[in-house]
Amino acid sequence: MPKMIRFGVLLSCVLLGSLAHAAGGGKKGLKVNSELFDIGIIAGSINIEDFPSQFEPLLGVNITFKASEYFFLQYNFIQTEIGVSSVEANDAIAGFGLEDRDFTHYDLLVGYNIFQGEFFSSDGQANLSNLYVVGGFGDTEMGGESNFTYTIGAGYLIEFARKYLVRIDYRDYIFDSSLLVSEGEETIHNTQFSIGIGYLF
Amino acid sequence: MNKRGVKQVLRFSAQQLVTRWLVGCVCGLALIASNAYAAPVVLEVIDAYAEVHSGPGRGYPVFYVIEQGEKIEILSRRPDWYEIRAKNGKVGWTTTAAISRTIQKTGEPADLPSVGYGDYIKGSFVTGFSTGQFLEGDLEEFDVFTVSGGYRFLAWLGADVEYGRLFGSGSAGDLYAANVFVEPAAHWKLSPFLSLGTGEISMDTQPDQINFDVESATFNTYGLGASYYLGRNFVIKGEYRWYSIDVDDETERFGTWKLGFNTFF
Repeated sequence: MPKMIRFGVLLSCVLLGSLAHAAGGGKKGLKVNSELFDIGIIAGSINIEDFPSQFEPLLGVNITFKASEYFFLQYNFIQTEIGVSSVEANDAIAGFGLEDRDFTHYDLLVGYNIFQGEFFSSDGQANLSNLYVVGGFGDTEMGGESNFTYTIGAGYLIEFARKYLVRIDYRDYIFDSSLLVSEGEETIHNTQFSIGIGYLF
Repeated sequence: MNKRGVKQVLRFSAQQLVTRWLVGCVCGLALIASNAYAAPVVLEVIDAYAEVHSGPGRGYPVFYVIEQGEKIEILSRRPDWYEIRAKNGKVGWTTTAAISRTIQKTGEPADLPSVGYGDYIKGSFVTGFSTGQFLEGDLEEFDVFTVSGGYRFLAWLGADVEYGRLFGSGSAGDLYAANVFVEPAAHWKLSPFLSLGTGEISMDTQPDQINFDVESATFNTYGLGASYYLGRNFVIKGEYRWYSIDVDDETERFGTWKLGFNTFF
């Protein structure tokens, strides 16, 4: 894949150039420790339509950028394996079986903090918290298909220590799949519940 | 290798690429962040007073007020807010506007990040994403989304590299591009821009429903759009982009609309 290599080289140049610039103190002014990003991992369960709920490890990573007091941008990547659908489990319908049982999804979301608040874990202890909604789009790869996916969701986060946070999230991945229909496509909803931790930097 | 196998390999590479890109970004950002740690910044407030909130949002209650002439230590920064420590040890959050008029121990005005106005976009990194749909030509009704990262050399001039994914019925593909943006009036809240770019499309599958029967093709683009500054470093942008794709020694023209978000840091 020479074009991928070319693209990789190009991207590396930009990243290296930008790092060199950052290291050289490209921006004038006083240096203040910024907390604009957080990076996190999640674990949870996903319910893929027409397939059984997945309590097998659903694992994911995310990176969030705080764009303003209210808005943030988030990149997510999750991976799991899909179970045996009722169609496959039914012996009467022979000859149907998915070879590719990996479910991978990534998306780009914009989030809005609806209720910023504080979580009172004990006397004299207040942790910053946030209830937010997210929406965006991405790619879901399942059973040999690759589908344009809309993501909507809501979540709650608590900054339980100065640099660490906990997130509880609900997500719905919506896309058109032709995997289990004989003709055309059906719109399927895949709901996910997850808990994650993040590190602010 | 059968067709499906080839498809899987292609997929895998694309996925790997995205994963690598994300890992690269994360490492880069970690380096930038670690670079940001420095000696504590102590400033003197020269405005009449500054309110201190319990959190970085306008809804958090005010629990302390810094008086004129009081020295404060800047602990950290979030969009529109600074975390400060007052002389008596109280820690809280003030808006960037509230402490924009502060002076350093030396008596010089403090040049705090995200306080200065004017050419503040110049020399920033830009990252963002967009979604859209092809409206004309063989790729009509293909959905597309892209993620991009770039640099703003001047207030009116920027460049980025873009990775995207295209989805049609029964087919999908990858898109790679490099673009240059000219935005002559970046200080306007609603500001028009012009984009020029070049890149490559490669399809994972050979769709039989459509005439776009190529594995990969190079293209040039030009586009017209507008940015709307929702916040100091957060932009929503809309664009109409024309693709000239070289297929079999002929140039085909496709149009696409795009809607997305960009952010500067």
